[in-house]
Amino acid sequence: MDFRPLTEVERRNLVTALRGNADTGLALLMDRRNTSFLGATEEVTDEEVINAIRSVPCHY
Amino acid sequence: MGLLDSEQGKRRLLTVEIPVIERYNEGRDPEFRIRVAPVGGTLVLRYRLKPGHNIYDLETRLLSSYPTVPPETRVLTLLKHCPHLLEGQTLCMWRQGSTRAASRWDPARFSSVFAVQAAWRWLACYEVWHESGEWPLPEAK
Repeated sequence: MDFRPLTEVERRNLVTALRGNADTGLALLMDRRNTSFLGATEEVTDEEVINAIRSVPCHY
Repeated sequence: MGLLDSEQGKRRLLTVEIPVIERYNEGRDPEFRIRVAPVGGTLVLRYRLKPGHNIYDLETRLLSSYPTVPPETRVLTLLKHCPHLLEGQTLCMWRQGSTRAASRWDPARFSSVFAVQAAWRWLACYEVWHESGEWPLPEAK
């Protein structure tokens, strides 16, 4: 696979979202069509719940 | 309790796993939908994820001991060796002996789609690690 890296801004946004998810339970939002990263949010509607990564267990 | 070989397993399959997979697939581009296939005594979910600019092919196996034992997920797309990656490109995600509830798989609360979401988050960390050399989330004790 030819790896295409994130830009500096994209990486910063993703790291902030991942840490918000781990530290404060912020939900990570996946695009409904192709699973790409859309952002992070505190509120998740019922409609979006399947695309919102919140209380997924993990050891790291 | 196997999902395919016990009444309890079949009930879980029909009332929990299949409905949540169908919901996950709603509105999803066909190439990103979860496809389910029985392989031997296990059920295998095959799917694609794209947390950044790269597309990864994955499979999650629901072993005959699932859901008591967590699903096993491996990435079929070739990865660079990195933290939290086990033999056969299996993702290291849960520690069943951990005293921290968030580090353990709980069969009463989680379904196979949680494993897909956990894989997405793992791959998002991998995309960050690939460029920075640093896993963005600290390891839980």
